[in-house]
Amino acid sequence: MHRFAARIGSAFAILVLLATTVVRADSVSYAFERSSITFTHIARNPSGTAVGIDDPALRSLLKSLGATLTWRPGDHIVLITTSAPEVIGFSVGNAQYTVGPITAQGRFAPYLNGSEVYLPFDDVMRALGVSAQDGVLERLLTSLDVQGYGVQAVLIAHGGGVLRPRVVTDTPDRVVYEFDGVGTTLAPQRAVNAGGIRTVEITSSGSARDPKTLVTIELLPGTRHDAPQSGSGEFEVAFGANGSAPPLVEPLHDAVAAAAPANAAPATTAPPPPDTTNVATPSQSPSAQATAGATVNAVTVQATGDGGRAVTIAVTGDATYEWHRLRAPDNRFWIDIKNAQLAGGPQDQAEANPLVALRVRQIDPQTVRIALSLADDNALDVSPATTGISVNVGTEMLGDTAPRSGTGSIGAVVSASEPQTLVTPVPADEYGATGDQSAWKFGPQTYVPTNPKLIVLDPGHGGGDRGSMHGDLQEAILNLDLAKRVQAILVARGWQVKMTRTIDHDVDPTPRSTQEAIGIGHDNVDAYALQARDDIANEAGARLFVSIHCNAYLNSGPNGATVYYSKPIDVQLAQIMDRDIAMSGLGVKDDGIVKSHLYVTSHANMPSVLVETAFLSNPSDYAKLASSDWRQQMAQAIADGIDKYAQQNPVAGSAQ
Amino acid sequence: MRVPRPLYFIVVLAIAAAAGWYFFRPSAPVPGETVTVYYTKLDGTTLGTWDVSFRPAQPGESDAQRLHDLAVYAALQAVAGPPPDIAAVHFPTGTRVRNVSVNGSTATVDLSREVGSASGGTFQENGEFKGLVYTLTGIPSINAVQITIEGQTVGTLPGGHLELDAPLRRSDW
Repeated sequence: MHRFAARIGSAFAILVLLATTVVRADSVSYAFERSSITFTHIARNPSGTAVGIDDPALRSLLKSLGATLTWRPGDHIVLITTSAPEVIGFSVGNAQYTVGPITAQGRFAPYLNGSEVYLPFDDVMRALGVSAQDGVLERLLTSLDVQGYGVQAVLIAHGGGVLRPRVVTDTPDRVVYEFDGVGTTLAPQRAVNAGGIRTVEITSSGSARDPKTLVTIELLPGTRHDAPQSGSGEFEVAFGANGSAPPLVEPLHDAVAAAAPANAAPATTAPPPPDTTNVATPSQSPSAQATAGATVNAVTVQATGDGGRAVTIAVTGDATYEWHRLRAPDNRFWIDIKNAQLAGGPQDQAEANPLVALRVRQIDPQTVRIALSLADDNALDVSPATTGISVNVGTEMLGDTAPRSGTGSIGAVVSASEPQTLVTPVPADEYGATGDQSAWKFGPQTYVPTNPKLIVLDPGHGGGDRGSMHGDLQEAILNLDLAKRVQAILVARGWQVKMTRTIDHDVDPTPRSTQEAIGIGHDNVDAYALQARDDIANEAGARLFVSIHCNAYLNSGPNGATVYYSKPIDVQLAQIMDRDIAMSGLGVKDDGIVKSHLYVTSHANMPSVLVETAFLSNPSDYAKLASSDWRQQMAQAIADGIDKYAQQNPVAGSAQ
Repeated sequence: MRVPRPLYFIVVLAIAAAAGWYFFRPSAPVPGETVTVYYTKLDGTTLGTWDVSFRPAQPGESDAQRLHDLAVYAALQAVAGPPPDIAAVHFPTGTRVRNVSVNGSTATVDLSREVGSASGGTFQENGEFKGLVYTLTGIPSINAVQITIEGQTVGTLPGGHLELDAPLRRSDW
């Protein structure tokens, strides 16, 4: 028995020895981009090779690929953010890992070795878009997609690390891009026949240690292409067939000509087309358009005996309505009364449970919207009443099968679509991006200017803060130019105008703005300077505050004019300003009004907006901003918006 | 008593097989939890979503630790943005999530200085932070997001537009 025990003990000793040698520390070297890289935190086990996340070579490789690794001692997850950017997620103890939205099965589960997490080496490399074979690490061109848009197309390539190909051939019938240091396993050729692209051919050349991938684009006659855009992990180039412009680029002179017709009428002299709203509101029923119209006189809220709330919408006249509600956790409800006018001004009020807030707005010339923010997914009942419409919000929860939209009518109108169930628009309305939401950080509800004839114009940026810069144009200078043009128009119309800056310099933080900013937690000079701009308007008791900017983005795609606002009292000014810009013949896309927590509009006491006139980063918009005529038209539209708002919201005792 | 040699080998092999199975057994996939990541589309306002899966709960993991890990994961996904083939407003290249902490119902996300490196306009700031805030506030119990840059509270980004000194909520948009 003693001998048996001794043999069992020695067998265990052998097993322990085997275990320690099976999973043993090791190192491995690879050739990588004309040099070598040696991983020293390597462990080999029967399922494959593991690499420790503290391995200096791994960190160096990630850095060269533009990727970062996130892990803290005690964490169960290791996340690698690639340059694409895309998140690769590994979990200790789970062989599955994620690459963006895709879940993949790894060779083995990451594990802790002491205090260091070890990851499956091959899976890490694959997720990074790197091939590790035959002693060579090679960045791969992992995908090459062509997105067609009729006669236009965009070629998008992705791969390990940042792709910066060079153009080696550029003729009318062929473009060749060379990806130096990048290999590929993609199919060698494919027919496209879209956007002027006939075929795409992918070939590899160079050596294993110095790979090259050539992408040859065969073009149809007359095809034009954009300059390639290369950046964070992708390479993109746009093509246009039959001489059409590529999707992202327009010739500058064409854009200017389109944007600035010589006989463009000022906004104030161009009445809006009578059917504009109907065109923009496809869900409006024919019968609603045909009625004589109704008036929403009041919206009141009362508690009900069972703890709920009854919202009574007093309406005179004939109208149809439609209502929608969103799914929890976004517990918003709204009802649009068609062909109706709102008597009195907009209404914003906080409410008690089961409501949170209520908003009433004339959202376009023919529609009044009443929006409710609910505390939860409360059941509610919408029904026509003798005096208008009644919305009862109960304390019980809504069932999954309950309707989330509907239509109805009041008065003599019979809705053509009744009792049709509407499809609640998502996601644009679902997330309330265009002012539909009723969940506000409630700002001031009313404002009485002490100087009702004073408008404060704020040319954004200036001095050391240049704003966006593209080509020869600088946002700080353009903003000042636009603001001075608006100033001249307003002064000629009898307004007093104060500028937050009149030359290209910083708006210096005042002692007051600095103190105020520090008092509310700001600790950087940018916030002081923005507060100083608001102080100029707040201390003067100005009627309105209008900040003028030019927009920009990382690529040239986005374009258009946007009016940003922050507070309930800003909304009407934003709507009027946006409408004037949209209908002034400027040729710039109308991106609408957008609610956001911007500093200058949040801290201005009075109605205020920030107008992003156009995108410096978009070639077409750039050409417009570069045009003096266009800037004058934009200034005219902004001044007209200010005038129109003032006319619709007179201040007692003021001529304007 | 002398143990027969074949029995001895059988016992050793059985132990070796059991040990090998224990150490190198494949991990059975365990369903995790889905995190909805929001991104702002290139119209500058509309939100889109995509779902990512988060690892299953670990044995002995506390609720606080899991909430923290979930918030880290969600913040990283939101800052990285959607898959490259989806057109979306992205954070500037190189922007990293330095740290995430959850205190009560507020998540504090510390971003690297690269977030202020792009001279983008309101469009970019509005879109990138809207997606981040919607993503984190989609986690039950988180309803506000405080942004810090390199560990510091800031009023705005350098030359920026959005106010960052106080926690951001969905109602800010």
